[in-house]
Amino acid sequence: MFILNPQSGIPIYRQILEQVRRMVASGQLPPGTALPSVRDLALRHTINPMTISRAYSILETEGLLERHRGRPMTVASQSKNHSQLPKRLQQIGPLVEQTVVAAKQLELSEAELVKAVRREWEQNDD
Amino acid sequence: MKAVARLVFTYFTGAPLLRACTFVGLALIALDLYFVATQPGPGEKLWLAVLGLIFLFVGSSLMPVTFGRLARSHSIGVLPGGRFKLLLSAFITILLVALPVGLLSQGMSISGANGSLPELMKDPRVRDFVLGVAALTFTSAVLFAGWLYLAIWFLTSQRNLAGLFKGLLVVMLLIFAPARDIHDFTVSLIWNLQQIAVLWFVFGAGFLLWPRFKAARARRTRERFAGLARVLTGRTAGREFDVLLGTANPWLLVAALALPLLLMVRLVGEVPSAWLFFLTIFSGVTGAFSGQAAERSRALWLRGSWSRAELFVAVERSIWRHNAYVLGALVLVIVWIGLDAEFPPVLLAAGFSLVMLGAVLSTYLGLMITRGLRWPEIVAGVVVMFSLMALGMLAGFETVDLTTVFALEACMIALAMAFRFIARRRWMQIDWMVCRPDRALTARGA
Amino acid sequence: MTSTTVEASNLNKAFGEKHVLEDMSFGISPGDVIGVLGKNGAGKTTLLELMLGFTAPTAGAVRVFGHESYNLPGDIKARVGFVPQQDELLDQLTVADQLRVIASFYARWDSALIDRLCSEWGVNVNARIKSMSVGERQKLSILLAFGHKPDLLILDEPVASLDPIARRQFLEQLLTLSTDEKRAIVFSSHIVSDIERLANRIWIIKEGRLDWQGDLDSLKESIVRLHIRGTGPELPAFKIPGVLNVRRDGAFATAVVRDWTPEAQETLEKSASVQVEVETLGLEEIFVELHR
Repeated sequence: MFILNPQSGIPIYRQILEQVRRMVASGQLPPGTALPSVRDLALRHTINPMTISRAYSILETEGLLERHRGRPMTVASQSKNHSQLPKRLQQIGPLVEQTVVAAKQLELSEAELVKAVRREWEQNDD
Repeated sequence: MKAVARLVFTYFTGAPLLRACTFVGLALIALDLYFVATQPGPGEKLWLAVLGLIFLFVGSSLMPVTFGRLARSHSIGVLPGGRFKLLLSAFITILLVALPVGLLSQGMSISGANGSLPELMKDPRVRDFVLGVAALTFTSAVLFAGWLYLAIWFLTSQRNLAGLFKGLLVVMLLIFAPARDIHDFTVSLIWNLQQIAVLWFVFGAGFLLWPRFKAARARRTRERFAGLARVLTGRTAGREFDVLLGTANPWLLVAALALPLLLMVRLVGEVPSAWLFFLTIFSGVTGAFSGQAAERSRALWLRGSWSRAELFVAVERSIWRHNAYVLGALVLVIVWIGLDAEFPPVLLAAGFSLVMLGAVLSTYLGLMITRGLRWPEIVAGVVVMFSLMALGMLAGFETVDLTTVFALEACMIALAMAFRFIARRRWMQIDWMVCRPDRALTARGA
Repeated sequence: MTSTTVEASNLNKAFGEKHVLEDMSFGISPGDVIGVLGKNGAGKTTLLELMLGFTAPTAGAVRVFGHESYNLPGDIKARVGFVPQQDELLDQLTVADQLRVIASFYARWDSALIDRLCSEWGVNVNARIKSMSVGERQKLSILLAFGHKPDLLILDEPVASLDPIARRQFLEQLLTLSTDEKRAIVFSSHIVSDIERLANRIWIIKEGRLDWQGDLDSLKESIVRLHIRGTGPELPAFKIPGVLNVRRDGAFATAVVRDWTPEAQETLEKSASVQVEVETLGLEEIFVELHR
């Protein structure tokens, strides 16, 4: 389910956070999906479980995940997750920044970038 | 050739202390050579040379270990002619150590004559005689030194019981075989040269062909005497403490002692002093076990509820349990030999007490070794050893004064108790990071 | 968080003139997996052996489960496991004998676990230790420390001679041990990737001092490499707090800093009118940079 790289400079908990957030936002993880338990994930990837449970706790606080006693954590229902626009925009903020910086480095104009985005948006509509 | 010369140089200058020994030895020998060359009848000054030789030999005492280490290293197989050069360096070292003997024997052979050596050598008959004696003593010294280095190799490279005994065995044979030759005048130049040739040929061939032999052997795996090994290691249930400490199996030691003892009996014959002398040496073997107790007890620290003081007591008990078997065997041998040779009971009593003394002293001396073998322990060990040997010989004399002997023994018992006191105090503060010399070095580089 | 497993304050250790450890203070709680990193000679082995009472501190104190490590009582020793850097196996015994000898010292010994691990890890129970390879010996040393299910497990370079598969098996077993029963594990290793997987806390020992002590996650977030770009042809002078090293190259500069925060980025960008791009570093990179 996750692609985790322990050698990355990005702490594992953050990698999980970003991946869960993106998968939930894109619909890859619909509400009610059970997530692997901390222990399972730790053993499968051979990583320390504390970093995983930290990610899960943060996601629970954010309202993305729900904890159930005796059962694995599940993705929370959309109503809780349907946060306001500014928050969702804030989530995609870093990606936007990266794209803009890259475009500027390549000396593309704003219009050209917008055209590329629009093209991708239409292609991805399925 | 430069490599060989460099190797030989390293053997004599391995450690700072040994370098000093070599230097002192060379100085003393040079001094004595000067006397031999310039003064008449230098007999009395010969002790200088003997002392110098001892220093020189001690200075090169790391040669066997260095040789062994290099022989087993990977680099020696890769260097062109590596093994041969190594072998040559060992042979040259032995020649160098034996050379002063040959040179100085010239002085000895004319002691008592009038005139200094150069003057006397002008006479062709004297010259032939002197050179003949020199060649003889030189070759004998080469043989002797070779065997002595072998004994040292056993003692220093295999720092365990098996090594100790192989070394002792060689030393004993060394003292008796040539001694008998000289006594029976069977020594001759031709015989010496033959021995040197044969021994070095066998050794050299074995050494140079060893890699090939090892490769051939590796291709055949064999279960070596599994049953026998099991018998020798003994049943260990209930004695795991002893297993970790290395004192679980006294029978191995008893067996290792019995053979040399019997051999010694055949060689020594029935000279009480020599017999007691060797008994005390053998009783000292208990020190070999207690000497490694400190480093072996490291494995016991985390595994039991002993405090350091309690650990000392438990270790002491385990070692004495082990000693009991060894001493029991020695006592039996004493009784057997004594009855066989019809020694007077007084002598047997002296034998018993010396063996006990030897065991007690060496056991507690060994237990004192908690920071690796350092100068105080070495000095104490040498002192103890010489005292015991002297006591042994003294007790063997016909005109011995028993009260003196017993008084001396009482002193040595007090010394042993002092050792125990020191050992116990050291164990209460034992630091397992420095209890072995190489560990101490590692700790300092931590 | 209470440090009930191990607690040390102002620990100092010197061997004669040489000071090996200076002024160390730390705490270990149940469930911690601590990776100890340091150059050779930095004092890792000394620290680990000090914690278990093999040697005494020159100053300061270290307590294990509340008891001074130099005088650990028997019941505490039964809760501690240690894998030393140089193995303490008895050459003349077989693996089964060695296991039996060590097991006899402990009241609780999980033979089932050891048997399972022996077969999983490929340790031949009937082999004589003298004839085993270095890797096999190391596996056995590790097993000897697992059998009595210690609450505190200390390992000094336990995987130096193991191949990657053996290492992975060992890591998996350590993970199981630590997660299931809240044990504390301290291990030193040069294999940084293993530490990155397993540890949640990192100790970096530099010249006898605890240069860094904290979560692995925080470490990765606070030591970063900055790529700084000025607006003009030459980079203006700027000051970065907590910088470890800087390299300037005309209009660009690269700096490695510690204790980095997002606010610091804003401050820097505004105060020196530069653009800052943050590159996160893996643990090995961090270790190297800390020692430049």
